[in-house]
This record gives sequence, structure tokens and C-alpha cells, in this order.
Amino acid sequence: MSVPLLHAAIHVVILGYLGAGALLAALVMGGFSALLSFWSGVRQDETFIQVGRRAFYAAATFAFLSAVMLEVALLTHDFSLAYVVEHTDLSTPTALVAAAFYGGQEGSLLYWTVILGVLGSASLIASASLGGRVAAYAGGILAAILSFFLFVLAVVASPFELLSVAPPDGLGLNPILRDGGMLIHPPVVLAGFASFAIPFSFACAALLAGRADAAWITHTRRFALFAWSLQTAGLLLGMWWAYHVLGWGGYWGWDPVENVALMPWLATTAYLHSSQVQERRGRLRLWNFGLVITAFLLVVFGTFIVRSGVVPSVHTFAISAIGPWFLGFLVVCLAFSAVLLTFRSNLGVEPGPAPAVSREGAFVLQNLLLLGVVAVVMWGTVLPLVSGMFGLQRVVGAPFYERAAGPLLAAILALLAVGPLLPWRHAGRATVRALRWPVAAGALALVFLLIVGVRAAPALVAFPLAAAAATTALTEYARAAVRKPRSILRKRRRYGAYLAHLGLVVAVIGFAASHFGQQEKDVSLQPGESVTVAGYTLTFAGSEQRQLADHTELVAGMRLGDQTLEPSRATYAGLGGQAVTHVAISTTPTADVYVVLAGTNLDGSATFRVFVNPLVIFIWAGGTVIIMGVVLGNLGERSAAVELARRRIPVTLPA
Amino acid sequence: MTLFLRWGLPGAVVVACVGYLIYSASGGAAEYYVTVSELRAHAPAGDVRVAGVVQDDVQKSDGLHVMFTEKDGTASMPVDYRGTLPDIFKPGITVVVEGRLGTDGIFHARSLLAKCPSRFSTQPYTS
Repeated sequence: MSVPLLHAAIHVVILGYLGAGALLAALVMGGFSALLSFWSGVRQDETFIQVGRRAFYAAATFAFLSAVMLEVALLTHDFSLAYVVEHTDLSTPTALVAAAFYGGQEGSLLYWTVILGVLGSASLIASASLGGRVAAYAGGILAAILSFFLFVLAVVASPFELLSVAPPDGLGLNPILRDGGMLIHPPVVLAGFASFAIPFSFACAALLAGRADAAWITHTRRFALFAWSLQTAGLLLGMWWAYHVLGWGGYWGWDPVENVALMPWLATTAYLHSSQVQERRGRLRLWNFGLVITAFLLVVFGTFIVRSGVVPSVHTFAISAIGPWFLGFLVVCLAFSAVLLTFRSNLGVEPGPAPAVSREGAFVLQNLLLLGVVAVVMWGTVLPLVSGMFGLQRVVGAPFYERAAGPLLAAILALLAVGPLLPWRHAGRATVRALRWPVAAGALALVFLLIVGVRAAPALVAFPLAAAAATTALTEYARAAVRKPRSILRKRRRYGAYLAHLGLVVAVIGFAASHFGQQEKDVSLQPGESVTVAGYTLTFAGSEQRQLADHTELVAGMRLGDQTLEPSRATYAGLGGQAVTHVAISTTPTADVYVVLAGTNLDGSATFRVFVNPLVIFIWAGGTVIIMGVVLGNLGERSAAVELARRRIPVTLPA
Repeated sequence: MTLFLRWGLPGAVVVACVGYLIYSASGGAAEYYVTVSELRAHAPAGDVRVAGVVQDDVQKSDGLHVMFTEKDGTASMPVDYRGTLPDIFKPGITVVVEGRLGTDGIFHARSLLAKCPSRFSTQPYTS
């Protein structure tokens, strides 16, 4: 008997204390790095700038070590740690035990911190071109953010909390999370959230140092692109997961949790476009700082909203002590950036007004529209909080977002068709001529839809605009292919962006078709009976019970043509016999047949909810193309600033 | 002046449009989110969302029709709902029903959502 006890005691000492100790060491190094970086930045002391930077690397390393401790504790089922008990049990598959690392509140914060440490270190290593001062301030701000997270982890929400008596088994992972999606969606989304801190730190550092030149745009843009791509992937994976797991037939519910992930993405989308105005025309400098800062503030705001339980959500999050800390952090970040932007507003002096009908004008309009969507989503998210202060709480659902954001999204789609054709500085008659193809494509699509019998106004707006936007991107490709095929590779950033535009159009077609064309039916069937939804006939073949390792499954067979769909309900012995629906989806290029087993009845019949969702596969395909366009367009691409400088060299050389 | 005409005016128009869209949409689409006792005290017009705990008297007549009593600390009301139930639906959990209180005193729910038992924790462990 004494051996297992000794074994457990060693576990407590090694993992619990070492993990907590590593966190404390990281916090000390982080705080040291923050102070030293600012101080040496002001004094422009190159030696101490280096020391401050290395302290940041040390903090990141200690944070990583504590993450390793937590992961080892999870994998060895060390039930002396409360976190391990609350999120795993002995029957949980190993991959999901490993994933429980970011499945809980404390662990997800630790994961976030580690990503921040790694990306922060990478950004500091890559910042040589910015000059010591900007890099020192950026390191200081990064270290301060890292220290805040480490403080919360070490003091408020420690993943290394010990139980006085280690139980023989844990509580297990929530069955809804026992899915392959758990292995990829949360780490991508959390890494996306964490990565917005890097552009923010460099923006604030450039403001502090009083520099608004092209070098910081190049550097910031690279990390903003990285954050944006991660967030795009995270949003897509989230939609994909919700669609395949939750069984309500949709992929986006406008829940606060989804909204707060969308807002920083929108703000960064705006920045990625407007930063080109600064690169090419030297305009919108202050505006660009503002967008980068806004994106990060939205991340902090979102974390506060989601983790504090101040707004009603379908997800009731563990109401924990970290809410007020994040609110305080948000206030500090907000005040810091507001003061910086005010005192450095002289950096934003513009070289005289530009004509509004131009590429610049299109970017500004697109920015305003995107921020308009942010405002809509923000209002919908905080309305319960605001209205609750003045009386009964009010909430909004999907109709609000559709009515308020729909017209803005349509305008953005229209701009997607027009914007790329507008030249910098001034648009003339050539632009009007170039517009004939997208306009013709839009008109053709409209006529086609009217002939087919579509009468819903939103659909009649969305599809023709999508056709026009796709035509714009395709004509740009065609023009390049005819004149200079090699320019597609050489100017790959531009043509990568058009590829992303095309991907967006494909995704929009998927969104619009599945939104306007979804059909659903609730039905109870005896074995042998059929139901027809939107031309798809499903026949109920019968149901059976299956006993699996950690749960039992009630599986129904539904024949659709020559294939059999098997929607099921799994019941887990742990967690009070909680049941989980497993949706069965048959995907074709034109539509998804989506079958949910609601339950079986005493008379032998089974109850189903059947959805037919047109063109959902377009969303996943389009999303993948967007990310491909951005990645391919920016791999090994020289920045526009460097490109301009390179081209100017012959001009300045003596003849 | 040109700066204002070229950029300020169109910008102001866009901002005004966004404001109008938010205002008009929230007027039509916002619902009250109340507890059972608040609904009993004074029922707002139109659809409402009501949060409360499902009691033990759940009656399912077929796979899709369900009647139960929803209760908060002090007040309770009968709920009638037709549709797919969330996986975790059972007595004791908190649900949010959306619909309106009929003249028959029964709440006719259009949708029923269960509060997920949190993504971030199941139940704090107490030994």
C-alpha cells in the first residue's frame, strides 16, 4: 500500500509544485523584462535592451515548461491536481486527455500565454530592421501583456491547484467536446486570439518612439496577416465543428462567444486593406495604428465578456474570478492606447486630400463598412448588459444581425466588385469601361434568378453581387494572363489577394444559399416508412443499441439512395448519463442532407429532424481558398515598401 | 472645405446609415430576457425569452412534443413546446424558452435552448 502513496506524493511534488514554480519564475522574468525594456528603451542603452529581450525569452521558456508540467500531469492521470480531475477521467481517449490541456479555463489561459511567449519571441527576433528603440518598447509591451497573463495564472486561476485527497478517477471531459474538432478548433482559435497582441505591441511601440514609417507597417502587417489567417481558420473550424456536432442544422448562431471571435477578425481585415494605402500613398497612418489597437482591444474585451458571464449566452461559462482582472486589463489597455494616439496625433499629418473616387477612397469606404459591422455585432453583444442597467434585460437574435449587418455586407460585396478596378489617386473613364464586365455578370445573374423563380429580395441582391465580384477578380487574372503571365507570380501579393477575394465570393454563395434555401422537417417514422425533404427521400430502416468503450449508442439507419446514414444518440455513463447527438450528413456538391435522431418512441417509431442545406460545401471550400490566397500571396513576397525602394534606386544613381 | 466635402460628408453618411440600421433593427428584433417571476409580475408585449429550471413533471407525448413546468426561485409556469429537445434536456437543468405566455396561462415556446454545462468546466470537484 505504501508504494502507490509514495508514488502519488512524488507526483504532487514534481508536477504541482514545479508547474506552479515555473509560472512564478516566468512572472518574475516577465515583469523584469517589461521594466528593463522600457527603461533601456528610453535610455537607448543597447546592452540592456538585449538583457530585457533575453528576459522575455526566459519568461516564455518558463511558461512553456509549466505547460509541459500540466500536459505530463494530464497524460499520467495525476488526480492530485484539481484541473486533471475536473477535465479528464481514466476512460477518456489519450488524444482528448492531451487536448484537455486547453479544454478548461485555466489550461486555455496557459496555452494562450505560451503562444504569446513563442510568437512574441519570434516577433522580437524578426524586429532587427526596426531599430533598437521601437523593438525595446515593443518588447516591454509584450512582456507587460505576458506578465498580466502569468499573474492571472499564478495568482487568480492556477491550473496547478492541488486537492488534499486525490480521488481514484476524474470527472471526465464534457461529451460534447469528445470529438475530433476538439483537437484542432480551440488551439487555432486561442492561438489566433493570442497573436493579435503582437501587432498591437509594435503599433504602440512605434507610437511611443514617434515613428510612423513604412518599416513598422511591413513588420506589423506580417504578424497581423499571421493573426488574421489563424483567426480565419479558427472561425471556419468553429463553424465546421458547430455544424457537424451540435445538430441544429446551422453553423453560426450569433452567440456572444462567436461574436467576440468575429470582431477582431473584422478589424484586422480592415487593417490589412488600409495598410496598403499607407504603403503605397503614405496616407491613413494614424488610422492604421487605430485599427491594429482596436483589434487587440476587441480581443481583450471579448475575453472579458466570455469569461465573466456578464451577458447571457448559450454557453454558461464558469463564472470565475478572472472577469474583474480582465476588465481592469481592458481599461488599462484602452487608456494607454487612447493617450498614445492623442499625444502622437501629429504623426497622422496627411499629404493633402485625395480624390474620394479612387482606390484610396474604396479602401476607406470598405474600412468604414467593416467597422460598421463591428459596431452592429458589438451592439448586439452588449445590449443585454446595457439594457439590464436601465430595466429589464433585452436580447437580440439572428434577425437583428441579419437586418442590421446584411445591408452593410451587401455594400462590402459591391465594393469587392468595384474596388479592385479603381486606380490609385483618380478614377477616370477607363474605370467606367472596366466595370462593364462585372455589371454585365451581375445583371445576367439577376435575370437568371428571376427566370428560375427566386423572389426573395436578399437573395436577389446577394447572388448578383457575388457574380459581379467574382467577375472582377477573374477579369484581373485574365488581363494579366494575356499581357504579362509572369506578373501573376511576381506580384503574387496582389494576385493572392484576388484569389482570397474569389474564395470569399465562393463562401458568400455558400452562406447565402444555405441561409435562404434551407429546408427542414420534423418527423416520426415507423421502420420502413419514408420522408421526402426537398426532393431527397429518406427511408427509416430500423434502430439498434451499440455498446462502446465509454458509452452506449442508439443508432438509426436511414437509407438515402444507395447509401445508409446513421444518425445516433450516445449516452455516457459518466456525467450523470448525459446524451449527445451524432449528426449524420450526406454531402453532395449541391446540398447537404443533415439528419438528427431526436429519439425513439414506445411504439417502435423514431423521431428525426431532417435538414437539406444547399451549397454548404461552398463555405468550407471558399474558406480554404481564402487562406490559400493569403498564404501563397505572402510567402517570400517582398513588401511594397522594399519593392518601391528597390525600383527607385536607378533613378537616384548618377547617370 | 474640399476635404470635408470629399471625405467628411460621405463618411458621415456611412456612419449615419450604420446608426440607422442598428437602431431600426434593434427596435424590431430585440426581445426581453426575463425570469419567470419577472414575467409573472408584468409580461412585456411580444415574444420574450424566459430562463428557468426544468421541474420533474416532464411529459413527452411523442418524440417532438413536450410539456413541463419551468421555475425560478419563487414563480413557476407551464411550458408547451414542439420541436427537437437539446441533448442535455432533463429535470434540473436551466433552459431558456422563447415564445409568449398565452391567455390559457401556458407558455407556448417557439424555441428551447439549454444552457450548456460550460465549455470550461463540468462541476467543480469537491471531495
